[in-house]
Amino acid sequence: MRLFLAALVLIAGTMPASAQWLDRRWPDIPRNADGKPSFAAPTPRGSGGKPDLSGVWNGPVPELLLDPANAQPWMNEVVGQRVQEYWKKRPSYQCLPSGPEADRFAGWKRILQTPTAIAILNDDLTYRVIFMDGRELEANPPPSWMGYSVGRWDGDTLIVDSFGYNDKTWLSRYGQGHTEALRVREQWRRPDLGHLHVEVTFTDPAAYVKPWSFTADMTLAADTEMLEAVCEQTSDRWDGTAADAANSGVTVPPDVLARYVGVYNGMYLTNKRTIEVLLSGGKLIAKITGAAGVDGGEMRPLIPRSQTMFEGLGIGYRFIVNDKGDATALEEIHISGDSRFARQK
Amino acid sequence: MRSFLAALVLIAVATPAAAQWLDRKWPGIPRTADGKPNLTAPAPRGPDGKPDLSGVWDGENVVARPNPSDLQPWVVDLAHKYQQEYFRTRPYYQCRPSGPEAERYAGWKRVLQTPTTIAIISDDLTSRVIHTDGRTLEKDPPPSYMGYSVGRWEGDTLIVDSEGFNDKTWVSRYGVSHTEALHVTERFRRADFGHMQIDVTFTDPGAFVKPWGFKVNMLLKADTEMLEAICEYSSDNWTVTKDTPVSVPADVLARYVGVYSGIYGGNKRTIDVTLSGGQLMVKIVGAADIEGGLGTAGLDPDAAQPLVPRSQTLFEAFGLGFEFIVNDKGVVTDLVEIHISGPYKFPRQR
Repeated sequence: MRLFLAALVLIAGTMPASAQWLDRRWPDIPRNADGKPSFAAPTPRGSGGKPDLSGVWNGPVPELLLDPANAQPWMNEVVGQRVQEYWKKRPSYQCLPSGPEADRFAGWKRILQTPTAIAILNDDLTYRVIFMDGRELEANPPPSWMGYSVGRWDGDTLIVDSFGYNDKTWLSRYGQGHTEALRVREQWRRPDLGHLHVEVTFTDPAAYVKPWSFTADMTLAADTEMLEAVCEQTSDRWDGTAADAANSGVTVPPDVLARYVGVYNGMYLTNKRTIEVLLSGGKLIAKITGAAGVDGGEMRPLIPRSQTMFEGLGIGYRFIVNDKGDATALEEIHISGDSRFARQK
Repeated sequence: MRSFLAALVLIAVATPAAAQWLDRKWPGIPRTADGKPNLTAPAPRGPDGKPDLSGVWDGENVVARPNPSDLQPWVVDLAHKYQQEYFRTRPYYQCRPSGPEAERYAGWKRVLQTPTTIAIISDDLTSRVIHTDGRTLEKDPPPSYMGYSVGRWEGDTLIVDSEGFNDKTWVSRYGVSHTEALHVTERFRRADFGHMQIDVTFTDPGAFVKPWGFKVNMLLKADTEMLEAICEYSSDNWTVTKDTPVSVPADVLARYVGVYSGIYGGNKRTIDVTLSGGQLMVKIVGAADIEGGLGTAGLDPDAAQPLVPRSQTLFEAFGLGFEFIVNDKGVVTDLVEIHISGPYKFPRQR
């Protein structure tokens, strides 16, 4: 079980810290009568009259609905291989920059906006720059981790076009890759003081039949400060694959498996999570809803480690059984501790 | 020889690229009559009237070599240990953030300045932030790689105080450590459009007997763009070969003794080869500004290093290869320094 615990150390490391050390009142921001920052106050504006996106922001992992039918066959093979390896090669697990990865729109960032450039600084110390000096996208920029980004204002919406990525990064933590021809378009809106919305579209015909999009939402992290979250241990030390787990030789009788089928509900961190356990082709599968913010996929084959303990792609699942042998709850075992989900049906 | 070549791969990457791909005219900057950026035009100012440090800058190579007598003995001991390991645990070689390390003031940076925050972002994809919103230093900030920095203007000089560093970084590539109590004071002055100078002082009584520092000159890199230089291979992959020592007869060693000189990286370099206690020693003069920490003998620039024989003509020191070129009369004519970037020939002077 070492492997999936190791995987989770890193995931825990990349998660937004639930409590920041700093409780620091920002000067000069609009406040409500109770002294709290007024998130509904008007959008701050820069010298050009355009919205100023500057500030410290935090947000949940965006939901990514990627239809496998939209991926080119070679990309589906790549994704399958990465799942087998428990996403060990994900750039952020390798202490490498995440580039355009959708999941990195989540978490802490600081935006600095000047008239000619916008910098987005991440808590892992990486950053990207959006040029605002009116230049065009380069025709043939050298491939880089963070790409080459040019922004322009359309009313109060900042439209950013990016190009020039290397093909070492992923588009999502689920293992979807891209080619060097990837183009990213973002539309940033700050409708008020406290909220930032980004619509992101990935276009890369050699890897995906059609462009695909998602939305990231961020909230102003007022009266606090962003802390560093530096990757120090790469996943090179991780050991094992999903195939190793499948070959571990533990078998659970079909009637026992059948007793685990059901719907389990509970909270993970601060999010509601539902785990539906299905039986398909004699094997258990966990379908997780509300998990995109936390782990690496919706459908997890559950590989038996004992009669009640299963492994689902790097996470442990333990069925809690009453004296009649019926499952009453399901525990998800993370490095950060166990979360219990009560059976609903 | 794999080990020292591996070390040099990283250094090659870390060297500021001599040519940037982009040849892009920046709009709205002062230019001379011939259309070139006017680097001596007045420094730009922000809406608050303070100098605006924003821009793409290239820092000159930094020489930050504290006098060993100004360091606490444990810091000197550790520096010697790191030197023996070819400085392989230097954070930068481990693909970790360099934090306050002096030599990382060199090279490419972009500065973005707003009235409340200044960001300094480096080509290795790390960033630091200086708060200029009037706050004071935290009493007990959590230790971090880049520290917690607060800046204030004194006339046209930005004075930045930083604390809250973790003790995983070095303050010099020569293996000089610091404690979590490190305090860094920086004075940024943008004298004109094209030039900025930074005065840096390190104070850390647990590590340094007295404060010490250095100056960095930065030049505006107008009409071009900063490129990424990401560390992808950590020095964990370096292998130090422990081959059976090759022995070279004393009379052969004696023939190699001499002074060799030539040009490396645009600078004159002299290599002094001597014999001491039956061992060949090498001392490089004029190397401190160029090499990435391998260059000379760590803290003591005058120290000679033993040349470890790898064959009858090939030796290793400082993580570099040294090959003596012998003519058909048995006379040594040249010494070739072998870097990953290629061999450099230094003719014998005497």
